[in-house]
Amino acid sequence: MNAIEEKLWNYIDGNCTAEEQQAISILIDTDEVYKQKYTELLQLNADFGAMELDEPSMAFTYNVMEAIRAENALKPLKAKVDTRIIWGIGAFFILTITALLVFVLASINWQQSGNASPVELPKVDFNMPKISDIFSGNIMRGFILFDLVLALFVFDTFLRKKLNNKQAE
Amino acid sequence: MQSKLTDIELINQSLAGNQAAYADLVKRHQRFVFTLALRFSKSREDAEEITQDCFVKAYRHLSQFQGGSKFSTWLYSIVYTTAMTFLRKKRLDTTSIDNEDTYIQLENTSSGLENNLAENKSRSYYVNQAIAQLLPDDTAIITLFYKGEQSLEEIAQTLNMETNTVKVKLFRARQRLKDKLEHNLKHEARELI
Repeated sequence: MNAIEEKLWNYIDGNCTAEEQQAISILIDTDEVYKQKYTELLQLNADFGAMELDEPSMAFTYNVMEAIRAENALKPLKAKVDTRIIWGIGAFFILTITALLVFVLASINWQQSGNASPVELPKVDFNMPKISDIFSGNIMRGFILFDLVLALFVFDTFLRKKLNNKQAE
Repeated sequence: MQSKLTDIELINQSLAGNQAAYADLVKRHQRFVFTLALRFSKSREDAEEITQDCFVKAYRHLSQFQGGSKFSTWLYSIVYTTAMTFLRKKRLDTTSIDNEDTYIQLENTSSGLENNLAENKSRSYYVNQAIAQLLPDDTAIITLFYKGEQSLEEIAQTLNMETNTVKVKLFRARQRLKDKLEHNLKHEARELI
């Protein structure tokens, strides 16, 4: 019976080929079982199609729009910045760097590339400060203390967030 | 009075900052989205919460709608995901929603069920009652197919399934719905006798 119903549902939905459709149509006309089942399924199909949609509350649309407005109002300022401005600034810097590179590359005398040292770099007299001198200073100690306080603050924020997420669940 | 503009035109206006256009879009689709959410959640309050959540999410991601499919198909996929997440979070029932032997009764219809006389009830009442007793996936497919004006391919896209799977599921859902409908009608007739 399931096979007959499956065929008939496909026929009703229009999900079968023209040949199948013709074959089923003949079966409905000639076979009493098919005819009876077809009438039954057609009635069910009409019933399913006639089911009513439910209606939300009267103020539903207003509530949705209020929720959207509230969400927009709560949005932090950094999220409101137009991304086109960011892209514009980025593009400006890329263009400037590219133009500088092109200018530098164009001003190099490539004819001298065969020589052993074509470009003479200026000599820089630079004395590397001793690391032990830096670490012994009071400024460095203060800096490390500040870092420690900052790390504790970040760790505290992380733990608070974790606790809030747990409570939200 | 609802707008005569197409969904795409309303979306473009909404993206340009016209919130009234989005309100029109909500009005146009709210009944179906609410029905679909109600079929999943079985409670009007939860359904309203899901529906509202869906429309807010859709607004938030409206710029991501490519227009490759119907807006309704895109919206219904949001409804399906939101409703499923909601059900999982709320754990409405301790049994799995995939358990085919489990049938959930509609909260709001059960109270007045015995008091109503059969002659006062239309056939669509019994269909709605039977649908409420189906599994969420079955109700979703039936509702999308008959009321959402969705093709099998579009339903497959909404539910993230293969078209053939949807076809088989639709057949089985209709079988179960038919059985439930017959059972409910027989039960009603016995009560009258």
